[in-house]
Amino acid sequence: MPLIKNNQIIDNIWTYVPDDAPLGDESHIILGLERFLAERLQQRSSNKALGVRLAPADDPEKLRPYLDELDLIEVDFPKYADGRGFSQAQLLRRRYAYTGELRAVGEVLRDQILYMHRSGFDTFSTTRADLSDVMAALDEFSLSYQKAADIREAVFGIRQKR
Amino acid sequence: MYRYDEFDAALVNERVSQFRGQVARRIEGSLPEDEFKPLRLQNGVYLQMHAYMLRVAIPYGQLGSAQLRRLAEISEKYDRGYGHFTTRQNIQFNWVELKDIPDVLQDLADVEMHAIQTSGNCIRNVTSDHFAGATADELMDPRPWCEIIRQWSTFHPEFAFLPRKFKIAVTAAAHDRAAIRVHDIGLHMKQQDGTTGFEVHVGGGQGRTPVIAAKVNDFVPESEILDYLEAVMRVYNRFGRRDNKYKARIKILVSETGAEEFSRLVDAEYAAQSAHEKIDLPGDEIERITAYFKGPKLPTRPLESTAFNDARVADPDFDEWAAVNLHPHKQAGYTSVTVSLKPIGGLAGDATTDQMMVIADLAEAFGHDDIRVSHAQNIVLPHIAIDDLHAIYQQLQRAGLATANESLITDMIVCPGLDYCNLANARSIPVGQDIQKVFADPAYQRDIGKLHINISGCINACGHHHVGHIGILGVDRKGQEFYQISLGGRADEKAAIGEIAGKALSQEEIPAAIKQIIETYRSHRTSKDERFIDTLERIGHAPFKEAIYAAD
Amino acid sequence: MTSVRPKLKPEAPKAITAWDTQTGQTVWMTPDGSWSVKSGDLGIFVGDVAEAKLSEARGQESKVTDPYFMEVTEDGAICGRETLRENIRSNGPTVAYGKAGQALSSTLGK
Repeated sequence: MPLIKNNQIIDNIWTYVPDDAPLGDESHIILGLERFLAERLQQRSSNKALGVRLAPADDPEKLRPYLDELDLIEVDFPKYADGRGFSQAQLLRRRYAYTGELRAVGEVLRDQILYMHRSGFDTFSTTRADLSDVMAALDEFSLSYQKAADIREAVFGIRQKR
Repeated sequence: MYRYDEFDAALVNERVSQFRGQVARRIEGSLPEDEFKPLRLQNGVYLQMHAYMLRVAIPYGQLGSAQLRRLAEISEKYDRGYGHFTTRQNIQFNWVELKDIPDVLQDLADVEMHAIQTSGNCIRNVTSDHFAGATADELMDPRPWCEIIRQWSTFHPEFAFLPRKFKIAVTAAAHDRAAIRVHDIGLHMKQQDGTTGFEVHVGGGQGRTPVIAAKVNDFVPESEILDYLEAVMRVYNRFGRRDNKYKARIKILVSETGAEEFSRLVDAEYAAQSAHEKIDLPGDEIERITAYFKGPKLPTRPLESTAFNDARVADPDFDEWAAVNLHPHKQAGYTSVTVSLKPIGGLAGDATTDQMMVIADLAEAFGHDDIRVSHAQNIVLPHIAIDDLHAIYQQLQRAGLATANESLITDMIVCPGLDYCNLANARSIPVGQDIQKVFADPAYQRDIGKLHINISGCINACGHHHVGHIGILGVDRKGQEFYQISLGGRADEKAAIGEIAGKALSQEEIPAAIKQIIETYRSHRTSKDERFIDTLERIGHAPFKEAIYAAD
Repeated sequence: MTSVRPKLKPEAPKAITAWDTQTGQTVWMTPDGSWSVKSGDLGIFVGDVAEAKLSEARGQESKVTDPYFMEVTEDGAICGRETLRENIRSNGPTVAYGKAGQALSSTLGK
């Protein structure tokens, strides 16, 4: 499954460990939110790098105190039609000022990637798009009516600076 | 009306290119239908019984002549010579081919139109009062805020995959003609201590579970309204149910959470917004957009028109029409004209290519280029000099557009039903036509007075049956069509959900049943000034139910 | 998509109907597995053959969309619970529309 970040294919060094599975000896592991909250102290002493995977119903505010120690947050889209991950991303980036990697995983469709990027995702794990698709999708609109988590200024503001 | 600047135009054109690519991928096979579906829906493309259907946005129901002409051209070139105006002030083309839709969208973009977010689980076309900017009874013009909300909600990255569709309506008149209390969000514009703002109603809706919206905020100042809407949307996107399609609308979240608790959640989300998250709409931008809606400069005219009065005497049909299809204008000597799309035995809301051309020409010649679509599926020419009415009437008459029935019993809201719609359980159009035939006599209709019959072909309630004074719902019983009558619904500021009168009737029984209801009303009303809905409220439903089922 | 699609017994005769992906026209699978816009051309399938034909149809996404079984008699006439719906799909709306609809209404009004 290609992993795409900043218009490049990158290697995935992270391993997601399901809630009921034991931890292996991987150096970079991703845990579900509750497991992360329960085991984070214990894992910090193990020299493992920790990431978290958010399910759609998870409240990202629970991560707020630990954002500095996280290198990766994955937001899972088990079904593409479930758009809760867009709000989770906006909260993490804009309200909680998370600056690490924010990865969209699951049913990530080519035609959702622009909105995901605008909501704050910088990495996309998808079988439904290759690198050229992702780059094309990100380029489809040159303007936006809203401010969001990307660097674009809203049209409302651009007009007043003319 | 609003005109696109280079930014609006660029976005709409980029959308056409994007959709062209999506259609190409669909046809060539790399984009499966399951993944294409939400994309085509967000461009207003359905797959209906017979063909693809394209729903084109008419933001808050306003069109210019060039735009209506373009719709007429599209109806001829890509469809079968007609279009269907909807209860959300949009237009639908019933027979377009998928491979042509990108070209249709380009034709639309060239006249500053689009089909963006006219379907799908996103924020839909913002609707409003069809007399906005013209009517004598409004506090201010709601359209600038409709346009601002249109822009804010267009391609909103966070709210494109909501639990379910989301509809916003705005009014600024005491008499609510935009049905704001049966929308996901209804905004009623107000002024408080010199500040413009909005009373916010959330969680209204029709469909399977009809609900009148709860008022969640008495007054949100205009400077804060977009941020407040963001808060409502985020609460809904995060907490709205996604386990059951029929419980996914915001009305279910509001009713299951409780209006007070819901309101508290919104307030908490709003309070948590930090400064850099605020939309911070520049005041100059509000002014810029508002300036587009100043309306035409109408020359001063006398209150009375001799030409008009003489024509009424000379032409009794015109007199009939003028008594029914005009709405008071804020300026003396002018009026707002309803062009009825409800001819007796016709198809509610349909207009042919030629009819659209005629209306566009009239708007250009007499109506300052301003055309509106009403949620009752009629067309409105909002700024007409009373002196010009007879000339306009004669042209409308020649085009089959002069039916004198605005808000009367034959001016029904009717969904396309099983004749077109994949979701329908029963036909709506023939039922409406049969009822119209019973009440075709103009004198009889006027005697009955204002009355709304709304017909839906299934529980999704696109024909607004829940809020019809008389509602008719088509149901399927083992492959047979039956129709359930409800009484007492209304969509205005006293919004209410109708109550089912009794067992469903066959299609053949419906016209007589409606006739019984009407005769019961006529025998009980205190005078001709007491409307059907008021008599019903005064005497209760029992006499009407007895009348419907008396023959059993 | 239609709101209700009744489950048909394996031995019941059935046709396969769908929409042409490019045009949106209603189409029916013919006996030889091609597609026709005329319901008169439909093929009648039963049992495992019917299932195989349906899954074959589902594999032709770029040609047809959302294929499903439609109930027919042994002679290929539309029948069963969805008769009205399928007749409308086959014959078009039951009401005159466009110019024809307008002509009809103008004779009824005055």
